[in-house]
Amino acid sequence: MKLAWTIKCALAAGVMALPTAAWAEPVNISYLTHWAPETVALLENAAKEYAKTNPDVAVTVRAVPFGDLLTTLRSQGGDSEGATIAGIYDLWLPELARDKLVAPAPDAVASEVKGAWPAGIVSAASVGGTLYGIPNEIDVYALNYNKALFSEGGISAPPKTWDELKDAAAKLTKKDAGQQGFGMINSWAAGVVHPFSSLLVSNGGDLVVDGKPALDSKAAGETFQLYEDLITAGVTDPAMGTADANTTGPFLDNFVSGKTGMIIMANWWESALKAGMGEKFSDIGTAPIPVGPSGDKPRSISYSWMTVVNAGAGEAEQKAAWDFLAWLNSPESGPKGASAMADILMSMGILPSRSSDVEALKDRLGSDFLSGYVSVLADAKPFPVVLGGQEFSESLQQTIEALQYGQVSAKEAQANAQADAVSILERAAQ
Amino acid sequence: MTRSYSGSVWAMLTPAVALIGVFILLPMALTLWLSLQHWSTQTGFQTARFIGLDNFFEIFGPTSVGRDFKGAFLNTAIYTALSIVLILPLSVGLGLLVHQRHVAGGSVLRTVLFSTYMVPMIAVALVWSKLYSPTEGPFNQMLGWIGVGPQPWLSSPDTALVSIVFLNVWQQVGYFTVLAIAGLTQIPHSLYEAARIDGANAFQQFYAITLPLLRRTLLFSAVIAIINAVQVFEPVALITQGGPVGSTNVLTYHIRRVGIERAQGGLGSAMAVMLMLSLIVVIFALFALARRKDDE
Repeated sequence: MKLAWTIKCALAAGVMALPTAAWAEPVNISYLTHWAPETVALLENAAKEYAKTNPDVAVTVRAVPFGDLLTTLRSQGGDSEGATIAGIYDLWLPELARDKLVAPAPDAVASEVKGAWPAGIVSAASVGGTLYGIPNEIDVYALNYNKALFSEGGISAPPKTWDELKDAAAKLTKKDAGQQGFGMINSWAAGVVHPFSSLLVSNGGDLVVDGKPALDSKAAGETFQLYEDLITAGVTDPAMGTADANTTGPFLDNFVSGKTGMIIMANWWESALKAGMGEKFSDIGTAPIPVGPSGDKPRSISYSWMTVVNAGAGEAEQKAAWDFLAWLNSPESGPKGASAMADILMSMGILPSRSSDVEALKDRLGSDFLSGYVSVLADAKPFPVVLGGQEFSESLQQTIEALQYGQVSAKEAQANAQADAVSILERAAQ
Repeated sequence: MTRSYSGSVWAMLTPAVALIGVFILLPMALTLWLSLQHWSTQTGFQTARFIGLDNFFEIFGPTSVGRDFKGAFLNTAIYTALSIVLILPLSVGLGLLVHQRHVAGGSVLRTVLFSTYMVPMIAVALVWSKLYSPTEGPFNQMLGWIGVGPQPWLSSPDTALVSIVFLNVWQQVGYFTVLAIAGLTQIPHSLYEAARIDGANAFQQFYAITLPLLRRTLLFSAVIAIINAVQVFEPVALITQGGPVGSTNVLTYHIRRVGIERAQGGLGSAMAVMLMLSLIVVIFALFALARRKDDE
């Protein structure tokens, strides 16, 4: 009888202990990114730091080339076997949220983000007012120019207007030496569309207004015309502008080897430029985007990246993922009041978007290279985040490339771009 | 007895037929069904909405969807045709060279030729993208030695697709050379001896004996080469991403972009159906042509 009671008590104790045992079970979460191995190593170090206070959570990092990131998300993202956390480009969010591949942020995370990030950044990480990701980086565009080539060409300052841009490009072009004045990228959607869009907004135009394409505006027409003028003047050579799946290739090679005088590129290229140029990196200057005839001041488009959590992951994995992300992006995780995420981003020359990170890292953000980007942040216009945005971007890329290679005129390019954009955005909205 | 025999036939056929049904016919039928639906790849099949032939009208229509599909279709056709035109004669030529018994080092040459086929595409893509580099690439440097100016290779819409074809030919020709050698070994040596006694020179022997008797091998090689070429994906994904100006945007890469990246499952399926139908038509035409030659 005594033995029977002992067994019953032991069983009861075991049943009571079950939930505790379930919480104590280790949770494995994975983090999908397109970062390079040295940056992945920094993220892994941060995960190790997190594991010191959260020994039951193991974070592994999976890295794919940028060109494969969306495909990987699409093919594995909503599956329980897919990555628990993914770093994504804000343009992809509306469709990932529509297809329920990403989980809404828990209330605590959402209220923290809304209080700690600028409203525009929070809005780019939200769909229909629901926050889906923790923003981390913001990217803007500026003119990068080779100071040594400027000096050789007798150009004293970077161009401030489109006329000055054309003039400087002509002075920097030496066809016999295989040197082009101004570099235009091709074979990479964002790489083609973002510099064009930055020139467009610096000319007072917009890509999309109230959800409708605005490429038929006068400002857009002038931007297409600028491209045609640069091409016909021979100051840019499209054959020198090809990019590969890792966003490197001849375009980068030509700029770092001093064969291209100026390019329009985002801040995150700092690490690629440093790696390619070594000590000669100090030759690179940064200046605001030249202003077009219809523009009032230098502007750039901006876009952001965020980390989202897989909606198909288990409850425990999702909880652990949000907890890890909240820690990774908090001022407690990094040095001197910055977040560990901001520290990782700064290693690549990427601007962090959390207000406290910008304050904590203001010395590093004041470097010669980055200060040119920080200065245009206030007047930057967010790249439109709409359903069908990726297809819109790829379609505009095709049109701009056709213009670069002389297959269409500026007027034809403008008409094609507007017609395609209308059709794509209307279909996506259905 | 007959019933028992019939039963055992079914019992033996069922596993194979079931496997073919599940792994080949069912996915094909599903693709065909999806091509008639409006469906996001990221949602369940239950969300698919029947829209008849709209996806087909769209991919052949005047919008960017139609323009991109037709461009990718044309690129794939050009890529396939050029690959076949280069690979088959080269494989026969190299096969004849290697097959000559009195050529020293023939087996080494055979191994070297076949080795290109075994190199992973990622390595091939990395190396060839550097070989083609407009400024520092060895190809342009070598052209410079003979007074030819630098070529844009992958950087121009006029030459990018052909550059990818060259890469494909380099990688595949060894495999097809081995097939050609296998075909050559089947030709009786006595036929050549008889031809020589009759006074036929090497070219006459080639056109009267070698080529006709290699026809079945060449038909098999052509079918395999067409299927391989139509399925080209890796070099485009790794090197050009379909650019510049969509000049290397082939169908498999485009279907991946539409069906997976943009999650437009219905449109992607309609494109896949058109690819499948085109392949079937080409292969049937090839067999019909070969049969007519046999009849003659």
